[in-house]
Amino acid sequence: MRILTKTSLYYLLVSFVVFLAGGIGYYLILQGEIYDEVDDQLFTDKENILTYIRRTNTLPHVTSGVTETIVVKEVTSATPVLESLTDTLIYSSYDEESIPYRRLTFTAYQNGKAYQYTIMKSVMDFDDLFESTVFAMGWTFVMLLFGLGAVNYSINKYTWRNFYDTLGKLKRYSLAQYGPLQLKPSNTTEFQELNNALQAMTHKIHTDYLNLKEFTENVSHEIQTPLAIVNSKLELFMQSDNLTTEQAKLLEEMHHSVSRLARLNKSLILLTRIENREFKENEEVPLHELLTQQTEQLQEIIEMQGLQLTQTIESPVFLLMNRGLAEVLLSNLLINAIQHNRPGGAVTITLTIANLCIQNTGQPLQTAPDAFFGRFVSGSTNSGSLGIGLALVNKICAIYSLQPSYTYQNELHTLCISFPEKSSK
Amino acid sequence: MRILIIEDEPALNASIVTYLQQEGYSCDAAYDFKEASLKIADVPYTCVLADLNLPLGNGLDLVKLLKENTPETGIIIISAKNALDDRITGLELGADDYLTKPFHLSELNARLKSVIRRRNFNGHKTIQVGVLEVLPDAAEVQVQGKKLALTKKEYDLLLYFLANRNRVLTKDAIAEHLWGDHVEALDSLDFVYTHIKNLRRKIMEAGGEDYIQTVYGLGYKFVSP
Repeated sequence: MRILTKTSLYYLLVSFVVFLAGGIGYYLILQGEIYDEVDDQLFTDKENILTYIRRTNTLPHVTSGVTETIVVKEVTSATPVLESLTDTLIYSSYDEESIPYRRLTFTAYQNGKAYQYTIMKSVMDFDDLFESTVFAMGWTFVMLLFGLGAVNYSINKYTWRNFYDTLGKLKRYSLAQYGPLQLKPSNTTEFQELNNALQAMTHKIHTDYLNLKEFTENVSHEIQTPLAIVNSKLELFMQSDNLTTEQAKLLEEMHHSVSRLARLNKSLILLTRIENREFKENEEVPLHELLTQQTEQLQEIIEMQGLQLTQTIESPVFLLMNRGLAEVLLSNLLINAIQHNRPGGAVTITLTIANLCIQNTGQPLQTAPDAFFGRFVSGSTNSGSLGIGLALVNKICAIYSLQPSYTYQNELHTLCISFPEKSSK
Repeated sequence: MRILIIEDEPALNASIVTYLQQEGYSCDAAYDFKEASLKIADVPYTCVLADLNLPLGNGLDLVKLLKENTPETGIIIISAKNALDDRITGLELGADDYLTKPFHLSELNARLKSVIRRRNFNGHKTIQVGVLEVLPDAAEVQVQGKKLALTKKEYDLLLYFLANRNRVLTKDAIAEHLWGDHVEALDSLDFVYTHIKNLRRKIMEAGGEDYIQTVYGLGYKFVSP
C-alpha cells in the first residue's frame, strides 16, 4: 500500500470520528441553546404578567398565536402549582405531526383569587435539527474527501514524483554499466536528503568498484609479461644439455604450472573484458552452425573419452551477439559436459528455437547448484579443471539476456540456455 | 634470414632472441617504438615480431609502416592484450599472425617458420627431413615417395616437431598447440602421448626411423637424422 493511501486512510478514519463527535456535540449544544432561549422568553412573559397584575391589579388581556399560547384559568385547589416547566407535544393539523412545545405553568394571585397561567412556546423540531446537523456534517465530510483526493493527487504527481524517479533509477542501477547515480533535485527536504545520501553512497561504491576493477585488470595484464618471461626462460632452460632426470622433472612441473597459470589468467582477462562489455561488434550468429563446428573440433576428444555424443538441431537459431563470445559460450558448455563426465558416458545436445540444452552423465554436484555458475567452483576433484568456464558462460548469458539453468536428475546433468524470445527466428 | 624482435621487456626480448638465434636466425632487438621504426627503415627484415604495447607508440602503427615500406616482410604480432579487436585490426592491417602473451617459444618458432614458409623466401616448397618429405601446400607427408595417412592432428603435430627440431617440447606446449583453448577439457598429457605414439608408429611402419625421442621427465624431442 502506498504511503499516501495509508496516511489518507488514517486521516479519513480520524476525520470520521471527529465529524461524528463534532456532530453530536453540535446537536446537543444547539438543543441546549434553544431550550435556554425559549425558557428565557417564557420567564420574561411570566415576569411581565406578574408585574402587570401587581401594578394594575387586573388580569392582563392575553392573546394566543401560533408560536405562543397563554391560557388562564381560575384554580380552587388547595395546592396551586407555583411554578413548573415541562415539555409537551401538541398536534398540529397543518403540519400533520406533533410539534414539541415548552410549557411554563405558574399561579398568580389577584384579589385573593388564584389564577393558573400556562404559557406554551413551540420549540424547534429536533428531528429537523438532527437532520440538518447530519446533512451539514455529511456535506462537509464529502467536501473534505474531495479536497483530500485533490491534495493527494497533486502531492503524488508533483512532490512524490521525484521519489518515484529516484526509486526507478535505483532499481535499474547497475555498477558495471553506469557511473554514480544521477538524481533529479527535489524541493522536499526528506527526498533531497535521501537523494544526497544515495548519491554519496553510490559515488563511493562506484569509486571503490572502479578501483577494484582497475586493480583486477592491471593485475591480469601486468601478470602476462612476467609469466611470458618465466615461461620463455624455462623453455630455454629445458634445452640445455646435461640435465639430470630429477632436474628435468622439476622443470617440467614448473612449466606445467606456469602454463596453467597462464591459461587461467587468459580466462580471467576474458571474463573482465566481458564484464566491461568490450565486445561491441554484434552480428546475427548462426548458433546451429557454430555448434556443429564446435562439436567437430571436440569430436576427437569426445571419442578418446569414449563418450557417446547425440546432437539434435531442431531448427536454425540466430542470436544477435558477438561471434567470438558465442564460440566461447558453446565451447565452454561442451567442455564442461565432457570434463565432468564419466568414462563411457553420454553427451546429449538439443538445440531448439527456444533453448539449447546440453545433458551429460556424471557424478552429482558436491556444491550447491546456485554456486554452479560462480568462479572457481569445481564440481569434481578433477585437477585440470579451473572452474572458470561456467563463470564465463554465466557472464556471456547475462550480457545477452540469455537464461542459463541447471538441473540434475537420474545421474544426468542438464544445462540449458534459454534464448530471449525476440532474438530467435 | 634476419628477424627483428620488438618487445619492451628486456628479459622476454632476450629469451626470444636466444631461442631464435639457436634456430639459426640473425636477430635484432628493439625496445621501443622509435628504435623499432628506425631499424625497420634501415634493414629489410625477413620477419618482424612486434609487441603492440610499446613505449613511445602503438605497435599497430609499426604494422602499417611495414606494409607501406617493405610489404615483403612477414609480421607476427605479440600482445598481452588478448584483445579480439586488436587481433582483427592487426590481421586486417596485414599482420601474418597473432600471438597472445604468455606463449611458448616453440609455438612462436613454429608460427615464425610457417609465416616465412608461406611467404616462400627460400623457394623451398617442401620440407625434407631424412626420409620424410612434407608438402605444406598439399598438407601431405611422404615417406620415400609414399603418402603417409595422417590425421589432421598428427600432421599438425609433425609440423610442430619439424619446426622445433632438436628441441625439447613439453606435453603442455604440444597440447596447447594442438587444441588451443580446448586444452582444459582433456587430460592433455595422455592425449599427447596417444597422438605421438600413433605418429611414431605410422612413420616407422612406412619405413621411416623413430625420430621422436622421449625426454624423461620433460617431454619429447624430434631429432634430425
